[in-house]
Amino acid sequence: MAEPRKPPDDLALVELLRAGDETAFMMLVDELGPSMRRVARMYVSSDAVADDVVQEAWLGVVKGLDGFEGRASLRTWIFRILVNTAKTRGQRENRSVPFAALTGDDLDQPTFEPSAFGAPGEPNAGGWSTLPFDWRGMPEERAEGTETLHVIGGAIAMLPPMQAEVIRLRDVLGWTSDEVCNALDLTETNQRVLLHRARTKVRGALEEHFRSVSEA
Amino acid sequence: MSVDASISCQEVVELLSAYLDGELDPTTLERVEAHLAGCDGCTMVLEEFRETIRLSGGLTVEHVDETQRRTLLEAFRDWRAGS
Repeated sequence: MAEPRKPPDDLALVELLRAGDETAFMMLVDELGPSMRRVARMYVSSDAVADDVVQEAWLGVVKGLDGFEGRASLRTWIFRILVNTAKTRGQRENRSVPFAALTGDDLDQPTFEPSAFGAPGEPNAGGWSTLPFDWRGMPEERAEGTETLHVIGGAIAMLPPMQAEVIRLRDVLGWTSDEVCNALDLTETNQRVLLHRARTKVRGALEEHFRSVSEA
Repeated sequence: MSVDASISCQEVVELLSAYLDGELDPTTLERVEAHLAGCDGCTMVLEEFRETIRLSGGLTVEHVDETQRRTLLEAFRDWRAGS
C-alpha cells in the first residue's frame, strides 16, 4: 500500500508545480490519472469526454495552485476540482446519473448471503449455519501469486463504479476515509457502506477462487 | 454457535470494515470484540477481511495512456509559458 503523502510534502509539491516543474507534474498525473479518468467517466457520456474533463481539471488545478491552502490533502483537492468539472460537464450533456446507478442499488441489503445464518425464530437465529470456506493458511506463493491479483482485479472491475473506486482508493492506493469522502463527495456513512460491500465481494471472490484451487 | 447474545454473527460481519478501520463507537466496539473473542467463524471472516485488504494493496498501479500524458504535458507547458 502506498504511504500517504504528508501535508508538508504536499506544500513542497505545490511549490514545484508553481515553479513549472514537469517531473513533479507528471508524477501526479501518473499517480492520479487512472482514477481521475474513471471518476470523470461516472458523470459523462464517453471515454473521450472523460479524457477532456480530466484535462480541463488539470488546467483548473495548475491555475488554482495559489488557492491551495493545504487544509485538505493535495490529491483530495485535485479530485474536488475533477468531480466538479465532471458534474458540470455531465449537466451540460443533459446527462443525469442516478446516485444508485453509481453506488449499486442494494446498499440497504445484507452484504453476506442470509442463508449462511440461522433464520429469525430459529434457535440459531443470526448465527452461522454454514461457515464460509476457510482460506487462511493458503501457501504464501499461492495467495500472493499473479492469479490472486487477477481475481481481485476482476472482482473490483465487476463492482458498481463508486464501490470500485472507493476500494481502489482505500485499499489499493492507501487513501484515508476522510480523503475518499472529500474526493468523491460521499458522506462518511456512504463511504463506509460502499467500502464494506466492495471488500465483502472481493473477499467472496477470493473464497471462491481458493476453494476451487484447493479442490483441484 | 451463539456466543454473545447481544450481537449476532450476521450483525458482526456487517461491522467488520468499520471495526478494522477503527470507526466503531465504544459500545459497539466492546460488543464486537466480546463476540469475536468467542466466535471462531467471525474471527475467521475477520482475518480473511484483513488478508483481502492486504492482498488488494498488491494490485499493480495502472498507467496513464501515453497520448493523454503527452497532451497533459503540453497543456502544462502552455500554462507555464502563459503565466
